[in-house]
Amino acid sequence: MTAEQAVDATPHLKGKWEEGLQALRGGDKPHIRAADTRAITGSVDVDSALARLPEHAQANRWDFAIGYQHEDRDAECLYWVELHTANDSQVDVVLAKLRWLLRWLQGDGKALDAFERDFVWVSSGATNYTLNGPQRRAFADFALRQTGGILRIPLRRQ
Amino acid sequence: MTNEVSYLEVSMKIIRYKRVAPHLKVENFGPIKGADVTFGDLTVCVGPQATGKSILLQLLKLLVDTPHIKREFGRAGVDWQGQFLAFLDVYFGEGMRSLWKPETRIQLNAAAIDLPQRVEQSRSNRQEAMFFIPAQRVLALRDGWPSAFNFYDASVPYTVREFSEQLRLLMSDFGAEGTLFPVPRRLKEEFRELLQEHIFPGFELKIDTQRAQKRLVLTSKEKEGGSLPVAVWSAGQREFVPLLLGLYWLMVPAGAPRRRGVDWVVVEELEMGLHPRAISVVMLILFELMARGYRVCISTHSPQVLDAIWALQRLKEHGASPPDLLRVFDVPQTPPLLQLAQEVMKRQAKVYYFDRSSGTTRDISSLNSSAEEAGESGWGGLTEFSGRASTAVARAVANSRGKAQP
Repeated sequence: MTAEQAVDATPHLKGKWEEGLQALRGGDKPHIRAADTRAITGSVDVDSALARLPEHAQANRWDFAIGYQHEDRDAECLYWVELHTANDSQVDVVLAKLRWLLRWLQGDGKALDAFERDFVWVSSGATNYTLNGPQRRAFADFALRQTGGILRIPLRRQ
Repeated sequence: MTNEVSYLEVSMKIIRYKRVAPHLKVENFGPIKGADVTFGDLTVCVGPQATGKSILLQLLKLLVDTPHIKREFGRAGVDWQGQFLAFLDVYFGEGMRSLWKPETRIQLNAAAIDLPQRVEQSRSNRQEAMFFIPAQRVLALRDGWPSAFNFYDASVPYTVREFSEQLRLLMSDFGAEGTLFPVPRRLKEEFRELLQEHIFPGFELKIDTQRAQKRLVLTSKEKEGGSLPVAVWSAGQREFVPLLLGLYWLMVPAGAPRRRGVDWVVVEELEMGLHPRAISVVMLILFELMARGYRVCISTHSPQVLDAIWALQRLKEHGASPPDLLRVFDVPQTPPLLQLAQEVMKRQAKVYYFDRSSGTTRDISSLNSSAEEAGESGWGGLTEFSGRASTAVARAVANSRGKAQP
């Protein structure tokens, strides 16, 4: 199953898979740097798609997912990206979003749960963490990558 | 005196008296294809080994102190017989003549410098303006006592030989059985306490005489502890003591903020052998040098040093107060340290990345982790490992579908 097929098989996301980075808002696209833009298989704006549903409307929802075909993988990988201010006051918000995403992937989003993935917090503005800091390691223990302001997707995932 | 030489002298005077930011451009000198560095009150050079950080700093020393260097060589009987390439071998160390190429170009504050001509013609009595603490500083105390300039053969870089000579001269300030640390009039009390705790726990640094030969020893402050010679010191103590003595040289006890005539301080790889807590203390002492008006240049491979600079830059941007800066270093908020923090927050720090692939320098002073360019966002490679480690763990957790829950 491709990521596009998985999105179409997911309740409330059918037809929401878009080419390249078109699911991202214009201001969000510069935060994503793919080594080969042709390897981007598509993207989906989960946040907008689920915002109108009563059960998710008030939740801290995750932003979007990007599909990427790495040279060293047979199947697509999904980069689950949250663009968010990076400072102490926002840690709980982003972790709440990740909790929501993981619950959703266990339920309605289970078709997408099968893909190899990264959960990535990309800073929308300045990053007020030192990149060597313990926060980054604490996030990693929760499966979360903090990349600073740019997510760089390499050719090979390794 | 040629135009180039006189222009350089004028430039150095302007830099010195008006505190104009010195701007050095170097092309095709050793591994440096193109360096473009504007020095701040504190300038930090980062980058992989053998990318030209030390060479650039030694070159700056040569430009700043040409007459003094020639005088020191003259006193030591070093004769390069007017051959510029031979001079490079004795100044930078044996075999380093290869740094120079026909296409080498050097500019200081936009003026082209003819280095061979400067080396040949420069003559004045101007005293040394830059104090250089080299990465190989441990050599200066190899035998437990600083050796004279002449003790080293011509294969050893000038900066090492001169540093050793300066420490040797400094020793005359202390008596035959003197205590070098802790000493009341040397360093702030807060620094002494921090150094005692983090580098010399339970020890004093003293001069001892063994079979008529003076030597430095660590003596236990407890009971009847014996004297520990250099050979049994910890690696951190061996690295730090020459640095401490260099700091003593710079922080004259007579009440003057700086040693007369000295404007610049270079400290290479300040972190060598030191625990992170000790690195924090050394960083604070470098801040003290900066607050005293020295223009400080350091090279480092320590992510912690950049963490400190990053914090300083961000705290300044956000209008933070001196106590915020002291919290970074986990030190008491005493009046002297608060005053130091206040001074430091007025100063400008610059950070340059020496990129091996391009042979160029990049100004990464903003330490912006959101920067477009990977060299800047990765702080010149110093956060690469941490980033890879975090990514590997995050990825493993994300794909294990295990129990870890935020």
